[in-house]
Amino acid sequence: MIRKGLAGGSYQPLTEESIAKIDQAVMAVVEEVGFEINSEKALQLFEKAGARVGREERRVRLSQAKARELIGMAPPEVRLCGQEEKHDVLLGGNRVYAGTGGTALYIYEPAGKQKRPATLEDLKRIARLVNRLDNIHLFMLPTYPNELPIEQVDANRFFAGLDNTTKHIMGGVYTLGGIKQVLRIAEIVAGSAEELVKRPLISMIGCSISPLKMDANYGDLVVEIAQRGIPLVCPAEPLCGATSPVTLAGNLVIQTADSLMGVMLTQIVKPGTPVIFGSVATNTDLRNLNYLAGSVEMGLLNAAGAQMAQFYHLPFYATGGMTDSKVLDAQSGYESAISSLLCALAGANFIHDAAGMMEFALTACYEKFVIDNEILGMVMRAVDGIKVNDDTLAFDLIKEVGPGGNFVAAKHTRRFMRREHYQPTLSDRNGREEWEAKGGKAIWQKAGEKVRRLIAEPKYHLPAEVRQQILSEIKGIVD
Amino acid sequence: MAKKDIISLIRENVIQGRVAQDDEGLDGGMVGEPGVTELIEKALAKRLDVRDIINKGLTEAMNLVGQKFEQKEYYIPDMLASAEAVGVAMKLLEPYLAQSGIKPKGKVLLATVKGDLHDIGKNIVTILLRGAGYTVKDLGNDMEPQSIVNAVRAEKPQFLGLSALLTSTMVNMRDTIQALEESGLRDKVKVIIGGAPVSEEYAKSIGADGYGSDGFQALAVIESLSST
Repeated sequence: MIRKGLAGGSYQPLTEESIAKIDQAVMAVVEEVGFEINSEKALQLFEKAGARVGREERRVRLSQAKARELIGMAPPEVRLCGQEEKHDVLLGGNRVYAGTGGTALYIYEPAGKQKRPATLEDLKRIARLVNRLDNIHLFMLPTYPNELPIEQVDANRFFAGLDNTTKHIMGGVYTLGGIKQVLRIAEIVAGSAEELVKRPLISMIGCSISPLKMDANYGDLVVEIAQRGIPLVCPAEPLCGATSPVTLAGNLVIQTADSLMGVMLTQIVKPGTPVIFGSVATNTDLRNLNYLAGSVEMGLLNAAGAQMAQFYHLPFYATGGMTDSKVLDAQSGYESAISSLLCALAGANFIHDAAGMMEFALTACYEKFVIDNEILGMVMRAVDGIKVNDDTLAFDLIKEVGPGGNFVAAKHTRRFMRREHYQPTLSDRNGREEWEAKGGKAIWQKAGEKVRRLIAEPKYHLPAEVRQQILSEIKGIVD
Repeated sequence: MAKKDIISLIRENVIQGRVAQDDEGLDGGMVGEPGVTELIEKALAKRLDVRDIINKGLTEAMNLVGQKFEQKEYYIPDMLASAEAVGVAMKLLEPYLAQSGIKPKGKVLLATVKGDLHDIGKNIVTILLRGAGYTVKDLGNDMEPQSIVNAVRAEKPQFLGLSALLTSTMVNMRDTIQALEESGLRDKVKVIIGGAPVSEEYAKSIGADGYGSDGFQALAVIESLSST
């Protein structure tokens, strides 16, 4: 059984009072401190919408009332579609989904404990692998094709995704020309521009620079994507002690304000356009300023981010499930599990980076996608919680079996065992003798076998005529 | 107050990272006691030997701070507070260096290159270099190659440090170095580069003189290039 879109929210690191205090601080930042907007287009749009604009510092300040009005225009739910409808997800409320994230530059190979630059072929193979991993609900393009010039990267990345998996494709974008190509590719796959807006098979990401700054390139990207009505994530990545106050509460103020800046801009461009509030918040190691992807604080911050999103009635993109370990060891397992679990239990709508990422998000690993698929299965089981009703209490059965009996042969056991208990797809639960008889393999070795098996299975490809049209119309796609 | 006392107080306050009397210090509770600014002013008023202030006060303190950092007792913000205190002290001592026979350590221009607004790394390098006694002029971020060339022509620094965080902007480091060559200034200044996407290899490939993998490396590279 595949668990997705279940309601989280049982874990709430912020009290209602804390949420209100963070909101007040955020509104004070929006009103008094403002944002430095380096995109001329975005600056003009804010000005037209009634923001106070300090031209010299490129500073945009909005009244609390105006900010709340713009935030209120954003839809509370955003549907992200797959090429197959069964892969559609409806982000919003406290429904939980998990997916891959990006964008890693390297691939880690556990057999030789080495990493190498990622290629376009890796991206295609990972897409094929993720297409077969049920607990990974969305496919965010996880790797960067190092061999391609930057102008060809966007089109090739999205084509690789669309041509190898029917799950929804989300991705970061690098050039304005690239975005236009990507949108055209997606239109061809969807059938038309209108059809693509109706059933968005792709979505994009426009990142701000914490604290409180938007660069020219990303500002223009946000405006372009919002005009087209394609779902857009506006995440912020404040790092405790580096790009935000060192305290988690201070970080949440910056994260919330920065993401809302993007959300508000999209609503000025086009009221009601689908936009996703997002967090990539985490801390740094203040001994070397390394970005941390596997810290417990990252889990706390993103769980709290889910509560802030619920407060503003916005769909939420969280970050969790990564590790800073360089190998597939115990650290890689516990770090990934802890942050995924915290986000999921808090009801984060889309936990991105939840599979395959290690080493400060610089490196992806085939085996880790498979291992994280298992972690996510267990995490989603935890979200599912404990159902209590007459059937599950099973008083009649207890009465029937009586003292000293057993439940192995009961119909009730067969009826509920698969639903009530997560069925592992990778973990070893044998006794030692049996485990040894099967080769005494470590988890990364078993994961490697599964990778090879799944990648060898029949592949998905776009319909031949669609492929042909894309390849003839969009130059520079490497088939 | 005896001479030794002021110098040891300067040392202690550098270690505590206290620029002035309103700083609480690493251990806390020190607000109101004289900080490095007040102590240097007092030392100058008492005409203490500037070389003693620098060698026995500031340098010795920074060596201890470096040890504490190595031993993982100090974090980067601790190190920066101490370096900032030394930077402020050096600024106050600057007018007295020549008459004390101390050679200035040289001038460094720093910039984040065109297209890039990320400046945390560059700002940390600024503090560390000032703390080591260099005169630093920070040009800011998103700097056009030509603006950097103009600044090099006007300021005549011994070193130029270029920073970038993005793979898409690091190429502007190459353009800046080319612009220096075209204006005939390349051999007047040593160029070092730093930032997450760049490497030793990249530094060589674009003809930079050095590469610092972090702020401390940047300082070490400049120190070693100074002595050649």
